[in-house]
Amino acid sequence: MKHQAKFVSEQKQQARAAEQQSLEPAAREFASAEELLRFDAAQTPVPGAVAERLERSTADLPPPAGRWWRRLFKR
Amino acid sequence: MNEPVAEHSGPEVTPTALAPGVFADLYHQHSRAIYYLCLRFLGDPQKAEDATHDVFLKAYRKMDQFRGEASWRTWLYRIAINHCRNLQQAWQDRHLFSNADDAVWENAEAATDSPLRVLETKELGERIQRALDGLPGEYRLLLLLVADRELSYEQVGALTGQSPDAVRGKLHRARKAFAALFHKTG
Repeated sequence: MKHQAKFVSEQKQQARAAEQQSLEPAAREFASAEELLRFDAAQTPVPGAVAERLERSTADLPPPAGRWWRRLFKR
Repeated sequence: MNEPVAEHSGPEVTPTALAPGVFADLYHQHSRAIYYLCLRFLGDPQKAEDATHDVFLKAYRKMDQFRGEASWRTWLYRIAINHCRNLQQAWQDRHLFSNADDAVWENAEAATDSPLRVLETKELGERIQRALDGLPGEYRLLLLLVADRELSYEQVGALTGQSPDAVRGKLHRARKAFAALFHKTG
């Protein structure tokens, strides 16, 4: 019984801590402007509309000539 | 290269993404970096979307001119930088543009060694944009390029027309200016 009460109390404490944590804004620190920009870039997806527009824009164009640069593609 | 664009099965087909192929691979590998540069360079999501489309369309048309002297990323950045500069120039020609905030960072005593602290990431993009907008264009571009881990100082120097040592020197001042402006946005 005593053990059970302790368990419930710990659970309440954990829940309170989690609630408190969710209320407090999590501070982030970035060592440099570049690090901040990298973080921002990672959070910034390319709108899907760009690929869709490109698909339409290139549909009537001849495919780019030459295949020799294929081997360089991974550069 | 014949496979960058798949044939459509009919006019009713609405493309949702680029068909598999070398051009699609190029797009998937580099579009995020190019879009981010356009976004923070131009400061407008719609303009950045248009610019990213135009940059990759130019790349598609000029792929046969790629000689492999630079990396694909550097090549695409060069197209993007030229494109964004042209757009900005056209915009500035139409509007009398002056950067009234120049003196803010020049006179600021920003602690550049201290980390940039962010409490709320929700509006982080807007704060970053305001800080970048206050920078001279050269510093803004330098920071955006150096932030890309795929680029070396040599490549950043080649893209901005200066030596790697000059990049390093200016980067220090760009960081300081950015930090001063960013703190002001908080």
